[in-house]
Amino acid sequence: MEDTPPRSGRRAAWDFLGRCVRSQGRFVVWAVTAGVVWQAAAVAAPLFVRKAIDEGIVGGDRGALYLWAGVLLALGSVEVVSWAFRHYLAIRNGTRVEADSREDVFGHALALDSRYHDSVDPGDLMSRAAIDAGLVRRAVDAMGHMSGFLVTIFAASALMLTIDVRLALIVLVPLPFLSVAMWLYSARYREPSREVQEAWADASTVVEESVAGVRVIKGLGAGEPISARFRRKSDYIVDRALAVANVDALFFPVLELLPMLGLVAVLWFGGNRVLEGTLTIGELVALYAYVMLLVWPLRTLGRRIETLQRALAGAERITEVLDARPTVTELVAQSHKVSFRGHVRFDRVSFAYGDGAPVLDGFELELEPGESVALVGPTGSGKTTVAALLARFYDVDEGGVLLDGKDVRSLPIAAVRRAVGLVFEDTFLFTDTVHANIAFARPDAAEEDIERAARAAGAHDFVLELPDGYETLLGERGYSLSGGQRQRIAIARALLADPAVLVLDDATSAVDATKEAEIQEALKTAMTGRTTIVIAHRPNTIALAGRVALLDEGRIVAAGTHAELLGRSQRYREVLALDEAEAAA
Amino acid sequence: MESARKGAVRRHVAIHLRPFRAQIALAAGAVVLSTLATLAGPALVGYAVDRIDSDGDRGALVTASLAFLGVALVRPLLERVQILLSARAGERFLASLRAAAFDRLQALSLGFFEGERAGVLVSRLTADVQTLTTFVRQVFIEVASSILLLVVTVSVLFVLSWPLAALTVAVVAPIMLVSSTRFHRLSRPAYLAIRDRVAETLASLQEGLGGVRVIQSFGRERWVFGRFRERSRSQVTAWRHASLVNIAFFPTIVAAQVAATAVVLVAGGILLGRGSISIGVVVAFVLYLTNLFDPLARLSEWFGELQSGRAALAKIVGLIDTEAGIAERADAVEAPEAGELRADGVSFAYEQGTAVVRDVSLAVAPGERLALVGPTGAGKSTLAKLLVRLYDPDGGTVSLGGVDVRDLTLASLRRRVVLVPQEGHLFSGTIADNIRLARPEASDEDVAGALARIGALARFLAFPDDLATEVHSRGVRLSAGERQLVSLARVELVDPAVVVLDEATSAMDPGTERAVERAITAVTAGRTVITIAHRLSTARRADRIAVLQDARLVELGSHDELVAADGFYAALWRSWQAYGVAA
Repeated sequence: MEDTPPRSGRRAAWDFLGRCVRSQGRFVVWAVTAGVVWQAAAVAAPLFVRKAIDEGIVGGDRGALYLWAGVLLALGSVEVVSWAFRHYLAIRNGTRVEADSREDVFGHALALDSRYHDSVDPGDLMSRAAIDAGLVRRAVDAMGHMSGFLVTIFAASALMLTIDVRLALIVLVPLPFLSVAMWLYSARYREPSREVQEAWADASTVVEESVAGVRVIKGLGAGEPISARFRRKSDYIVDRALAVANVDALFFPVLELLPMLGLVAVLWFGGNRVLEGTLTIGELVALYAYVMLLVWPLRTLGRRIETLQRALAGAERITEVLDARPTVTELVAQSHKVSFRGHVRFDRVSFAYGDGAPVLDGFELELEPGESVALVGPTGSGKTTVAALLARFYDVDEGGVLLDGKDVRSLPIAAVRRAVGLVFEDTFLFTDTVHANIAFARPDAAEEDIERAARAAGAHDFVLELPDGYETLLGERGYSLSGGQRQRIAIARALLADPAVLVLDDATSAVDATKEAEIQEALKTAMTGRTTIVIAHRPNTIALAGRVALLDEGRIVAAGTHAELLGRSQRYREVLALDEAEAAA
Repeated sequence: MESARKGAVRRHVAIHLRPFRAQIALAAGAVVLSTLATLAGPALVGYAVDRIDSDGDRGALVTASLAFLGVALVRPLLERVQILLSARAGERFLASLRAAAFDRLQALSLGFFEGERAGVLVSRLTADVQTLTTFVRQVFIEVASSILLLVVTVSVLFVLSWPLAALTVAVVAPIMLVSSTRFHRLSRPAYLAIRDRVAETLASLQEGLGGVRVIQSFGRERWVFGRFRERSRSQVTAWRHASLVNIAFFPTIVAAQVAATAVVLVAGGILLGRGSISIGVVVAFVLYLTNLFDPLARLSEWFGELQSGRAALAKIVGLIDTEAGIAERADAVEAPEAGELRADGVSFAYEQGTAVVRDVSLAVAPGERLALVGPTGAGKSTLAKLLVRLYDPDGGTVSLGGVDVRDLTLASLRRRVVLVPQEGHLFSGTIADNIRLARPEASDEDVAGALARIGALARFLAFPDDLATEVHSRGVRLSAGERQLVSLARVELVDPAVVVLDEATSAMDPGTERAVERAITAVTAGRTVITIAHRLSTARRADRIAVLQDARLVELGSHDELVAADGFYAALWRSWQAYGVAA
């Protein structure tokens, strides 16, 4: 995340919260209005209780008593209705903002290129999209509520002033100090609340990894150490959360003390006034009730500062993702369909991951439409990088990748990815049916097309033997296929997309040698008329391609047919040496 | 069923709260005292007003005011004590609960993970635990003190004037009873549904992030996003449903309050007229009514959090209570140092009726190298998992040194018998951290030593920060071969007696492949080795080969014997020779 632009994180978080609030438009206004009406009704109630006591009970006027009791009932109804609106709108706005934030994070993550994804843990992204978005929800949720409470504080103060200015001032003088206290508190809260969020993200990553790597952990018996690691992260959460609680323990009692002193003042000064005859008992009770009205809003306001600070910490972490810019971008927005013949050219391409040593250095390769080339080379020679550059997962540092003579950077990304079908060694299947997995690129594909693709990938026969054939559920919760079977599904998925250029990156490496022979025939047919790059080590896989290019230290060092290279390239023989040894064995 | 689940929740809460009972008792004491302090207010005001009204007594006012001042000063201190104690107890309770959930996650059998989406499990330990945190830290104290306030207030009302109090209760109780029963019934499923939607969203999120490369490569971002959005929005819908349940409940509280206040005012007026109660009593009564309903109204603010927290707790307890599958017996013993690893008539089926391993008997002597060979789906991997007790067989037994592996402690078994999966999965952290995955106490020298013994030290020292290189940092990418080497170094560090190796199928360039081969030779030297062989060249080097076909062990013997026998293996071998090494 080092690429975050220089704007201050806190500032960005405020902006983000502002956008969230604005996005709900008039619903926020309604939520605030409902909150204000709700509290206004609550504040008005003691006013009529006072009337009922002074006129109805003390004054002995039965008619007035019934009247004010009736008004209280009406006020109660207003309170109920506005509360219901406020509650509904709070949840509506809060959950929508949460959903928007989490969708923004996910949508943006989908748009970010491989350079970004190489450097972040999925667990960390998940915690931003789930937990941090939830914190933003709580803050938005609290808006109507808080505005209602602010109204209560002001209205109760105003009403106290109308009853008795001097007494009201005595009670209200501490309030400004309270806002100073809140402000101080808010600042002290910032650091630990951010740390709590980070601690949670760390713990989430351990959980996510322990689930993703469960086979390794179980096989190795590493459950204990992983649990210990989780405990450490969990203890750190406790530690930071207690740091927050320590701030609470200073702040909340102060918040508690001021209105309590106000109540004492009402009793003492008010009581004296009653003795002097300048204040009625009803007014005294009303004053007391108004100070009581302040207690809860002030207390909740204090808590909500915590909510706001946590929301800001969450928003900051969300904006870190949203502010990350893909390095692979479209020069011009082009929407027209582009179709390709499949001419591929790598023109003096140089590329390095991050600041590391160049992986490709002056790499040159050209394929005519329909031609196939096997790319052979030792680990780290850059074979997979070639595939990733062709599909524009990264942009080259120097040189250019050309598709039908056009630099891929000048083409719409979607068109390039449609034209280039990649099959990686580590296949990723979705929790869905075989059918849906093969039809991933074209969900509307006809049944025959899917079967044809499956046949071409040598998958049709074993799919039919699965419990529900093409409707068998795959993925995490589904039927577990062997590595080779997964690879064949992945090849079928790529073939169905009918790309102009196909890249098989060790794509049959896990297929049984006996099965591979069957696939070879089918694959040869599928490759006919399609530009294909085969990245391979096994001689029989290499044999799929018409010619071979030997990649070493970032550039092509030899090219020709397999037989030619065996004959003249010492390095080629070295790279394939093990298979030779096996042949000799 | 319902009550059993509730019982389970209570039991777990009790277990994890027990260590903090002293803090909880003290915090509860502080809550009780501060509640009583809150109640002192109206009583003192009522007392002072009565005296002022009847005899203009200033002394009573002084007494009441001083007493009230004392209360005002003590209450914040009580609040502080309560915050500090409840935060400590609460956070540690939560840590204890999530550690228990995580431990259970680690203890669950592989079968459980294959039956549940990873995102759902992650959600239990993240989103659910977080929701519970809000509940424990903020909501619980509020709710508890509100309820306490409620009970004490009602008692005080009866002391003040039992006819008025009885009238109030007669008005309030039926309304509250009916509506809260109804609320409880409707809200529980509503909030459990939210937890489910949250988990599904997280599962969808995890899958989308895991498959981001595939999604991008097929240009399906928009479609995948659309599917995610559907999940995400269903969470909004679930919340809305819950909010409507709340809305149906809350008005009854206000209705009860307003009705009670109106009734007290009217009845109080009449009673005062008859002279059976004083004005002070009516005043105190009305003030106490505020005390009575304020907490109820406040509860409404916490409705969502309260019910969410309860639902989250139920989900977490559900995870903790999941049967572990592979469990340790109470009288389990230490695994023997070494000895024969033996399967006797072992059968296993993932689903009833379709056995993946059928009646397999096999003995592997200490130091022997055995290869498991067979076509895809023949049951090789499953047999391997049975041998290391990642699954327990449905029939037959697996034993190590003559002891049924089910009688051994899991920790000692995992130290003796290790399974190396095909994929060298990397965890975030440095290369060294990854290697000491199973032995975090190992020093950097131990790690370097293990790498040196498998002949891979130089390769990893070449990384930017050598063994301290973060594996997920920019510009660092470990190749499949290097991940395998990490995997093998982990095993070397654990130093087991038996290694079960799922041979990596991915073809690597011969240079790396040779390095991996060398490492495998080093790791397996002097140990019992069972290899799931995908290449017959590997099988050939083994002492004996066990050939599986359709879940059964069909042939067993050395390479030469099996080739000479001209059976299934001989046929595989011929085909391997024809295609596997075609030059």
